[in-house]
Amino acid sequence: MEKKEAVLEVKDLSVIYKSDLETVYAVNHISFSIEKGETLGLVGETGAGKTTTALGIMRLLPQRTARFTSGEILLEGVDLKNLSEKEMLKIRGEKVSMIFQDPMTALNPVLTVGDQIGEAIFLHNENNLSKKEIDQKVEEMMEMVGIPKERKNEYPYQFSGGMRQRVVIAMALVCNPEVLIADEPTTALDVTIQAQILSMICDLQRQYQTSVIMITHDLGVVAETCDKVAIMYAGEIVEYGTLAQIFTGEAHHPYTTGLFGSIPSLTQNTRRLHPIEGLMPDPTNLPKGCKFAPRCEKCMEICRQEAPQVSINDGHQIRCHLYMKKEA
Amino acid sequence: MAKYTIKRLLYMIPVLFGVAFLVFTILSLTPGDPGTIILGITAKPEDIAALNAEFGYDQPFLIRFFNYIGDIIFHFDLGTSYQSRQPVIEDIIARFPNTLKLTIFSMSLSAILGISLGILSAVRQYSKLDHICVVTALIFASIPGFWLGLMLLLIFALKLRVLPSYGAGTLRHFILPTLTVSMTSAAGLLRLTRSAMLETVRQEYIRTAKAKGASEKRVIWKHALRNALLPVITTLGTSFGASLGGAIIAETVFAMPGMGTLITTAIRQKDIPVVMGSTLFLATLFSLIILIVDLLYAFIDPRIKAKYQSGGKSRG
Amino acid sequence: MVKKKTRKHAQLAEIWRRYRKNKTAVVGLVILMFILFIVIFADLIVPYSKCIEQVGAERLQPPSLQHFFGTDEYGRDLFARVIHGARYSLFIGVATSLMALVIGAILGASAGYFGGIVDNVICRIMDVFMCVPPILLSLAVVAALGSNLRNLIIAITISCIPGNVRLIRSVVLTVAEQDYVEAAKSYGTNNARIIFRYVLPNAVGPIIVNTTMAISDMILSAAGLSFIGMGIQPPSPEWGALLSSAQTFIFSSPYLLIFPGIFIVLTSLSFNLVGDGLTDALDPKLKD
Repeated sequence: MEKKEAVLEVKDLSVIYKSDLETVYAVNHISFSIEKGETLGLVGETGAGKTTTALGIMRLLPQRTARFTSGEILLEGVDLKNLSEKEMLKIRGEKVSMIFQDPMTALNPVLTVGDQIGEAIFLHNENNLSKKEIDQKVEEMMEMVGIPKERKNEYPYQFSGGMRQRVVIAMALVCNPEVLIADEPTTALDVTIQAQILSMICDLQRQYQTSVIMITHDLGVVAETCDKVAIMYAGEIVEYGTLAQIFTGEAHHPYTTGLFGSIPSLTQNTRRLHPIEGLMPDPTNLPKGCKFAPRCEKCMEICRQEAPQVSINDGHQIRCHLYMKKEA
Repeated sequence: MAKYTIKRLLYMIPVLFGVAFLVFTILSLTPGDPGTIILGITAKPEDIAALNAEFGYDQPFLIRFFNYIGDIIFHFDLGTSYQSRQPVIEDIIARFPNTLKLTIFSMSLSAILGISLGILSAVRQYSKLDHICVVTALIFASIPGFWLGLMLLLIFALKLRVLPSYGAGTLRHFILPTLTVSMTSAAGLLRLTRSAMLETVRQEYIRTAKAKGASEKRVIWKHALRNALLPVITTLGTSFGASLGGAIIAETVFAMPGMGTLITTAIRQKDIPVVMGSTLFLATLFSLIILIVDLLYAFIDPRIKAKYQSGGKSRG
Repeated sequence: MVKKKTRKHAQLAEIWRRYRKNKTAVVGLVILMFILFIVIFADLIVPYSKCIEQVGAERLQPPSLQHFFGTDEYGRDLFARVIHGARYSLFIGVATSLMALVIGAILGASAGYFGGIVDNVICRIMDVFMCVPPILLSLAVVAALGSNLRNLIIAITISCIPGNVRLIRSVVLTVAEQDYVEAAKSYGTNNARIIFRYVLPNAVGPIIVNTTMAISDMILSAAGLSFIGMGIQPPSPEWGALLSSAQTFIFSSPYLLIFPGIFIVLTSLSFNLVGDGLTDALDPKLKD
């Protein structure tokens, strides 16, 4: 396989939330990259820093509290961190767009869905489309995501959750962005609808060659949609590799092993699940060694003292002392 | 929409009937009968009885109530004043325009000031301007309207002598009373608009709009404002009532011949028909305003509008 | 049990910590303490006799060291009258708000919790009350019953019941819809227990804030009604009544209007500031 150029490259990114009382270390030195048309799964528990990463890329973090403390966000070689707000307006929606978790609250209740999809075109109207042409494009896009175009003058409350998520997807893809960030796009939906929405996102992605960051805590979703996977824990990427490396590879970060142990399997006859004991560490007061050490079954003395470095094996990255030792 | 309007109009009938009953019942608790009130306790009992019969006071309570309602509906007659022996409606017609003018001026001023400053304050949250707006609003919300009126009177009419201190002859007469009445409700509207706006910009759809690439300005004007104004509109009816109340008290400060001075004078003279007629008149007006505000709200919020257009059904 | 107590304690400490951060709210609390001090120790500050003592030779004296706030048209010391008047305003404000709260809570909570016909009847009656502007309702009550302290309290309380019923009903409705209430219902907890254990504690925040702010409104309404002669009558040193009789002397002795007015504003402002501070302190999610 030839090495393609990365569309989006995140290098050593850290984000903190600082209030006058405490500092939350939400994202700590994470790096990943996505090539054209590729899907990266960002997997982890609630509070692992997935959404912060996404909002950081969009530069939509709360201005008063959030700060980048290190790293770069390179979109086609340009660091988004250095762009002005005005320049970011041209990026958002056009180059990078985002789908949010809860379609019930993601749409403006007093504007019609047609207006809301059309607004995305209007805001990035480089071809100077007329009102009529925008309208036409809205209708095309609606049909593409499976909503009858006659419904464009209806308001969000007239749509079900799944239909609303289709509207949100139409809105995100209508400008044909380079990167689509999907923040748990199916978590709030019924299981049957989830599959429809996921396959629709995949179809559209193939059609437009969009790169996707799929944020989820559902390993099933990852298996179905992703090419690469990054497992996040307490603001760090603890394991990073191709879908095959993560799902079938031999060496794994204990947290990844734990995650897989937490899902029921149909093929293996397991008696009971093996959930990971304990809770995520307090992000205002992270352990000084390995962040996962307090919950790790294979925790060693060094894990409590020293933060592990990343060991790389054929692109498969694991941040764990277990594997560092082997190398040495 | 027509269906909703008709439904709301029909509902007004029992409500107004209830209002009339409430006011009539409260005021019927007044001790003494019209004969004694007008002629005094020293008058001859037969004269008192004759007068009571003239006012229909010899009838039982419920009959009197239905007679009163009947007179209003069929003869547009709100009763007869004990003092002047003239129909109450004539007093109202003479006094009401001043009160209405004052209320409308005050409402407009407070809506313009309160809503625009409230938006500005929310948009620049944590700024110096925001801080000043919030504190000033809290202070104005704590100043009794009548005292503000007295202070304005002291400064502008008595010390600086730039504005008239009493009466209602020209528009200039309305400047000080309008300021007096509007400041309190402007303060309330500012606080409400600000918090509604802050609540709205925290909503997820605002983030969606930003993710589309909408600028801060566009997000505020196109996405946040309409949603934020919905709760503000619902309170416009109440703030009309507050302005009306403020006007009633301000009339005393500025010796303005209006409904407020009419009612307070009537209360002092125990002229119950005037109190009753005026109160009912203003309460009816207020109910209509509330109705209009509700209809306006339904017109602006698509969720309510469509609910009634499609006969209450909404697609899931 | 001990654990529960400490948790409650920690919660209060957290609220107080958030409250303290808000400077204007702290200012409000200080003013409120000052007013409360006056109300409690009025007799020690200046004896009540000074309020009624008429000194013919000292009529309408401007403020001086003998009479901090000057004297009125009967030669009574305005400072003494303002200090003792604080009791009226505060008493009326607190009494009416609490009465309206209790009545509003009973009606609003039953309407919200039981729904159906109870809700319907209560709401329809409140609709009628809501159609009469509060001041007219108060005036009608005063017209019928006469103007004195007791009737003023009744008049003001009645006029603010409908708002309270609406507020508490909506709060109860929101809380009753929460999952934890559903859960409590599902394992057979009885109504009274649900209301007292789950619904009311969670509705306390907005109710405390609303009542604090209501005290301020009530103080203003009472002063307003007294001012137009429909509340407490002179010679009682109630602030609205003081202003009512001082109106005649607006040009010659404006200090008669200024001092009582400032005290009304301060008292009302203190409740507004405290209420505003509590809004943020009790509901941290409202702040970013």
